[in-house]
Amino acid sequence: MPLWSRVVSFWRTVARGRRLDADLDAELLSYVDEIAARKIAGGVDPATARRLALMEVGGIDHVKEEVRDVRIGRLVEETVRDTAYAWRMLRKAPGFAVAAVVTLALGVGANTAIFSVVHALLIAPMPYANPDRLVFVWADQASEGYARAPLSGPELTDLDTRASLFEGFGAIWATTAALTGDNEPEQLRIGHVSHDFFPLLGANAEIGRTFIEADVVKGPPTSILLSASVWRRRYGSDPSIVGTRILVNGRPTTVVGVMPADFKLLMPPDAAVPDDLEAFQPFDRFLPEFPRGQRFLRVIGRMRPGVELAAAQQDIARVGEEISKAYQYGVAGRRFETVSLQADAVHEIRGPLLALFGGVAILLVIACVNVASLLIARAAARTKETAMRAALGAGNARLLRQHLVEGLLLTTLGAVAGILVARWGLDALLALAPPALSRLSAARINIPVIVFSVAVVFAWGVLLSVAPLSEVWRVRLANAIRIDAARTGGSTGQSLRTALIAGQVAMSVVLVIGALLLVRTFQNVQSLDPGFNDHAIQSFRLAVRAPSRERALAFSRDLQSALSALPGVVGAAAISHAPYDHVPNWGGPYLPEKGADPSTAAQADYRSLSPGALELLDIRLVEGRSFTEQDDLSSRPVVIVDRRLAERTWPGQSAIGRELGVDTFVTGKAEIGATVVGVVEHVRHRNPILEVREQIYFPQRQAMRNPTVWIVKAASDPAALMPAIRETLKKLDPTLPIYDVRPLAAYAEGANATRQFTMQLSVLFALVALVLASVGVYGVMAYSVATRHREFGVRRALGAHDRQVLGLVARDGAWLLGRGLAGGIAAAALVAWLMRGLLFGVSPWDPATYASAIPVLIVAGLVACLLPARRAVAANPIEALRAE
Amino acid sequence: MAQSTELLKGTLGLLILRTLELEPRHGVAIADRIQQITKGTFTVKAGSLFPALHRLEQEGFIAGEWLVTEGRRIKSYRLTPAGRQQLAAEKKQWARIVSAVGLVLDSE
Repeated sequence: MPLWSRVVSFWRTVARGRRLDADLDAELLSYVDEIAARKIAGGVDPATARRLALMEVGGIDHVKEEVRDVRIGRLVEETVRDTAYAWRMLRKAPGFAVAAVVTLALGVGANTAIFSVVHALLIAPMPYANPDRLVFVWADQASEGYARAPLSGPELTDLDTRASLFEGFGAIWATTAALTGDNEPEQLRIGHVSHDFFPLLGANAEIGRTFIEADVVKGPPTSILLSASVWRRRYGSDPSIVGTRILVNGRPTTVVGVMPADFKLLMPPDAAVPDDLEAFQPFDRFLPEFPRGQRFLRVIGRMRPGVELAAAQQDIARVGEEISKAYQYGVAGRRFETVSLQADAVHEIRGPLLALFGGVAILLVIACVNVASLLIARAAARTKETAMRAALGAGNARLLRQHLVEGLLLTTLGAVAGILVARWGLDALLALAPPALSRLSAARINIPVIVFSVAVVFAWGVLLSVAPLSEVWRVRLANAIRIDAARTGGSTGQSLRTALIAGQVAMSVVLVIGALLLVRTFQNVQSLDPGFNDHAIQSFRLAVRAPSRERALAFSRDLQSALSALPGVVGAAAISHAPYDHVPNWGGPYLPEKGADPSTAAQADYRSLSPGALELLDIRLVEGRSFTEQDDLSSRPVVIVDRRLAERTWPGQSAIGRELGVDTFVTGKAEIGATVVGVVEHVRHRNPILEVREQIYFPQRQAMRNPTVWIVKAASDPAALMPAIRETLKKLDPTLPIYDVRPLAAYAEGANATRQFTMQLSVLFALVALVLASVGVYGVMAYSVATRHREFGVRRALGAHDRQVLGLVARDGAWLLGRGLAGGIAAAALVAWLMRGLLFGVSPWDPATYASAIPVLIVAGLVACLLPARRAVAANPIEALRAE
Repeated sequence: MAQSTELLKGTLGLLILRTLELEPRHGVAIADRIQQITKGTFTVKAGSLFPALHRLEQEGFIAGEWLVTEGRRIKSYRLTPAGRQQLAAEKKQWARIVSAVGLVLDSE
């Protein structure tokens, strides 16, 4: 490849400084020898001759210094001259320069913005000490529809005592607690942690300390560790708060410390541990003696230095096998999964993020192809100049360097503009990103990100500068065989350009098809019936504080009737969980009948509902009845189950009246017999796509969960109800904080946010790609028409019709688009297969999607060909002939 | 001699090109030749000769290659086609300068 050998020879000239030095040494020595030899011939003795010769030379080192100065001076001078020349050339063609820089800036900007997110989330190490040694331990309950389940207190102890490759394990569980006394009451998101949780992460308190073993007490915790945000918001960053007592859930609790503002808890999203916990408290001292079936702990482990993840995984798996034998775990036994914390914390967003990153990378290629195409066209237009410079003795290396400098100048401008675009782009990205993607906010345009972008851009800069050399090469060749290069018409350059643009069309086909597949996925998910209706429902969360269960229930009843009586309210009810929320899931085993072999228990999702909740949420009753006020503590336990549980447990029979063994108090044993009074359709409230475990609903009046989600259905605007709702609450209990105030539909939106965001960004990228590709097609078609102007004129003169001339242009355009489309569809099939994990309800090779992309591209392509075609038709025969 | 060194700065390149026009030479031979033609007016020292040679080589006007003569390695320079063009151009330029300066000096 001649281009390549030129690049090599250029680098040789630039990089051979060291060899030149040795060369110069030898040359000077030979010079001294020569002069000395003459003096010897003149009768001087050798030693003196040599000394005289050296004196005459005036110091070898001095001469070498001078030569070196000349050499470096020339390089600098030439570079400055080349840069100035390149700058002048750009100034002379401002339209070209602006088009190229803007195109590059868009490509680089989008790339840098997305890469900053990729870097922050996927590449940069987590902000913990030796994060590569941290792992996350899941319990695998896939056979019960719960692939990534939490562990129990005794199991944490098992890991600590039985695993041998670990320094230790820590656990966390997210809940809430009311903060009262010193200010407005509020409900805080609290992380209950084992006392060594923070030392395990390698995180220290900003002031005060984290927990020590002495903080672990029996019963409710007596110490609290504040996050920086609560400290600032509620205590005005007052350092003297440490050591004092505040009221948490009504109990005096000692503040032991405050975490640093930059401390972030980065747990896997499905661990139900929010990023924004506001305070931490230690677990109960009796945690290791909690029931084995009471599973709520999210466990982190720190491997000993030098331990491989695979070995650690085996170590943990072995613990699972051991305890499966040692304790009653049923036939399935207990299986533990170990994953790297870093990898797992982002596992849900990695796919979409990599897809978007791939998308912007393709976008950058498309942008660069446009710039390369512009450069080639310009090199063709500058044929005369190039020929002249070559004729005047500018060597290959000289011309190559000129082009490199021009290309690099252009890309430098593009990179600088691109990084500015990236800053704005990232701000816009973060502003548009849904709250569910709050981790994106870790993204920064920092040094590694800039280094990456600059490296990418300069790699492209060199390629871009080399592309027009095909044109230069042609000129030199033409020159050598004495052809008027300016008039032979673009053959080499044009065919390279056409190939590039066809490739560009292909790449935009890939982006368009990818985006369409994501749009279809999003539509499919949206149109999926989740089994409930959250329309016009306002929701908020509330933790009741009451001395007894009866009093709490009474409060709940009063609140429900007060809310239902408000004007504009269709109905109000209480539910234990909002759909798709981050509250640790409530679930437990069930047995087809009380007293059955506990090892045959299956796991179900537990929820509790107040009377009226099913109706408010439009959850469809298959048979039986829904809960009433009579299902309370004074009557026998009842449950409603979903159709899947009913069909699995009593296939072909009615479930109504059957007795199910359940575990309302989370002991891990299904010991309570409850009568099935109703069967409802399965509800997708854990995940919008997946059907998870079977579901069991308890009447709130028999099994109350605290805090509770309250749902209030409005006749019209649900948000407008809030003042009246707050007023009602204040009348009942002025010290009760309410939180998570939002439309119930916001939970579903949150659950789909990542999908929607990915879809929207991919559509944006596809649109930009389409525009860039159309510009590319336009450029190459316009150029081709311009160079064939004379030909068209002659054809017109010979009587060709409009349609015939149009046909000629259309044939070229169709050939270009056809090649691009064919290549693009093949590439899209591959790319779609790679991103199949992001798709739902649509095959990666869905013919309808592919078919719908084709007209979009053809329209874009035809628009791009239209103007050149009109110009071809307008070719004036007289003018064309006169130009001969 | 001080004056002539001053003059050399701008013209040494031209003189070297001219020296190499007929045949390739090595450093000492170039210096000798210039001294000989100018009848000793210009003595070219290594300190100005080598920088000038390397500048010309970098500009592609001359090309150096190592030869072995009489058992010794010497670096010999020859004129490149670009150097030949440059020499012609500089000669013309020089002639213009000389005649122009002459006109100024001869005028009253």
